[in-house]
Amino acid sequence: MTIENVLMVSGALFAIGAYGVVSRRSLVTVIMSLELMFNGVIIAAVAFSRFTPAAELLNGDPLTAEAIRSALTGHAFAIFVTAVAAGEAALAFALVFAMYRSSESVEITDAAEMKN
Amino acid sequence: MMEVSTLTTVAFWVVSAVMLALSLIVVTQKDVFRAAIALAGTFLMVGVLYFILSAEFVGVVQILVYVGAISVLMAFAVMFIQDIASGSRPSQGRAVALIVAVLIFASLSFTAQNTKWSSMDDITNPLASAAMTKGYIELSDGEVIGIDALPMVDEGVAVYENSGVLVDSTGGLGVLLVREYILAFQIIGLLLVAALIGGLLLMRNPQSSSETKTGDTSA
Repeated sequence: MTIENVLMVSGALFAIGAYGVVSRRSLVTVIMSLELMFNGVIIAAVAFSRFTPAAELLNGDPLTAEAIRSALTGHAFAIFVTAVAAGEAALAFALVFAMYRSSESVEITDAAEMKN
Repeated sequence: MMEVSTLTTVAFWVVSAVMLALSLIVVTQKDVFRAAIALAGTFLMVGVLYFILSAEFVGVVQILVYVGAISVLMAFAVMFIQDIASGSRPSQGRAVALIVAVLIFASLSFTAQNTKWSSMDDITNPLASAAMTKGYIELSDGEVIGIDALPMVDEGVAVYENSGVLVDSTGGLGVLLVREYILAFQIIGLLLVAALIGGLLLMRNPQSSSETKTGDTSA
């Protein structure tokens, strides 16, 4: 398990999600694929935190507790992306429901024609 | 410095393989409900992957938020919208999507393989190196000393003993979130409230809301 391996897995998950976003017609599966892409990104952030040192630890400055904790920046980033993804999913489903109520359809091609 | 055991490597590859297989089911399965189940499995496997990468707190958050909340939201969406029971048809752009996905994966893996990533071994300061895995002691005046130097501390100085940040990441992450990233942390709270209110507004039944509006003006 090296950083290259983990980044490959995260890239594969991101690519699979991208395939789903473009190839599916139902909005619900498009949102599912978007969540897959989010997860791929978070895996990369956590992998960088685990395998590469923070810049603060590489320079010759005297060691501070802040510099040590900056090794966990990737984890903090992962938490923020998770929170944004959760809000995005809630809003996206509200939009899908609103569209289903007005046009009885959840297909992307119908969404292009929807005015209100 | 942080050795990866053979068991960890095996676990990583098994979990990754299961995760990618489940995610392929998500994007190819015609039955949307089965896709939602596979998506929950994918999220769970990603959570296990975080534990393997020694990010316990992120793993727990992943299981709580993704497996616990977003998967349930997906299942609700599938059950509410009867239309998708007929199956999610693929769009015409399938070949294009495949090409785009392969190109994305090719460029990402090319970058991952051909970049010289700095490694944990590049840390020259032995104190910093020990703080990653073994632990460190933070004095009240902000100074950082090694875990073995505890007997040398003068009396009357407050000491905070910490285990290595990469081994026991939860405590360090908590401090990081409420010190360095406090502004982002607050803004995330604001964003979630905005998403909540926006979701409620979108889900409001237009008929009933117009009735209350006319009721308000007549009163």
